[in-house]
Amino acid sequence: MSPNVPELDRLPGLALPPPPLGGALEAELSRLAPVAPRRPWRDLARVGGLSLAYAAALVVLLTVRRDLHGLPVWWIAGYGAAWFAGFATLAYLALVPRRGAVMPRWRTTGIAAVIVALGFVTAGLVMHPSAEGSIELGLARVHEGHGCLELGLLTALVPVVLGALALRGALPVGSRWTAAGLGAAGGSLGGLVLHLHCPIADAWHLGLVHGGVVIVAAVLAAALVPRVVERRAPTGSR
Amino acid sequence: MTAEATTLMLRYCDGDPGAFRELYALLAPRLLGYLAHMARDRAVAEDLLQHTFLKVHRARAAYVRGADPVPWIYAIAHRTFLDEARRSQRAIARVDREGEVPEVAATLTGQERAAAEDAAPRHDPEVAAAAMAALESLPPQQREAVILTKLDGRSIAEAAEIAGTTPGAMKVRAHRGYVALRKLLGGAA
Repeated sequence: MSPNVPELDRLPGLALPPPPLGGALEAELSRLAPVAPRRPWRDLARVGGLSLAYAAALVVLLTVRRDLHGLPVWWIAGYGAAWFAGFATLAYLALVPRRGAVMPRWRTTGIAAVIVALGFVTAGLVMHPSAEGSIELGLARVHEGHGCLELGLLTALVPVVLGALALRGALPVGSRWTAAGLGAAGGSLGGLVLHLHCPIADAWHLGLVHGGVVIVAAVLAAALVPRVVERRAPTGSR
Repeated sequence: MTAEATTLMLRYCDGDPGAFRELYALLAPRLLGYLAHMARDRAVAEDLLQHTFLKVHRARAAYVRGADPVPWIYAIAHRTFLDEARRSQRAIARVDREGEVPEVAATLTGQERAAAEDAAPRHDPEVAAAAMAALESLPPQQREAVILTKLDGRSIAEAAEIAGTTPGAMKVRAHRGYVALRKLLGGAA
């Protein structure tokens, strides 16, 4: 229990008479134009819709994995649903604040990003069915799968950039954790694309490369996105 | 205050400059008090206040219709203070390296002990002055926790949201701040 400090009650109230508005603010007010406030659900729909369309186009362009028909349906469907759920949940947490708040829930987003990233690495290491047409690289050749990391990050780019643009000005605090959440969301979408495209089926590749996409995307987004998010928000209509 | 601020923020986003002035009149006094306690310099705090509202103005499209803008605006003030403090630290580091004199106020980094003298104590001037001096000698994070939770009357959760930390960490900062104040003011009560 904190000690009582009655002396603080002797201090005057926090309020101080403020100065008049400065010249810069007066100049801005003289040309004040209406703006449309942010609509988080619309932002989520836009980011989700465009990102999924982009991911689908990538899968179509790159073709689906050649061992798809030999793999267990439960694994293809369940693991694919998990990747999608990771993307949708993290994008929701990063973009939609709790009711009545302006700032997104960066703490929950950050925690969720860590859980999702570690979850996919673990899941890849533990569950790795293969079928005719699957490729096994093993730990010694895991670095040869770097193309998957690049494809995953390329997929993550769209949701991360769209999300960062949607959040401009909304994150005076917690921007790195929210950015990590956006990055992990993008990485999850990248994982979904890889799940449908990449025929490499060994544990190390699925865990360290496909799961690693989530971690790398989250770290890169945390490092780079705050610079975009903290820039002035557009004052035109949204 | 929350409902009024929300209404004003909506009118302001709709392009009513009078609403911005009313919002300023509603929030600026307490924000200035918060910034004056954090910066320990009234002039610097007034600059930070102007920067805060300029940032609010430029980021107003990030506001969510119907949401309480007060924690967001406080968080912008918090961030503005931190940015200025870091800038001052860098300037002081430059002085150490190059012998140049920075133009920024050194008060933000504790180089000067100017109190918010305009704030006249209500009761015992000596006790109030001692409390003010003790508060200003606290590390910035503890000082901010005490200011937000005690002087501004915010909950631990609200203070944590403003400062960009967890409620648990804010509670620890406030507790340590109270313990330190109790020690500092041991003979002044």
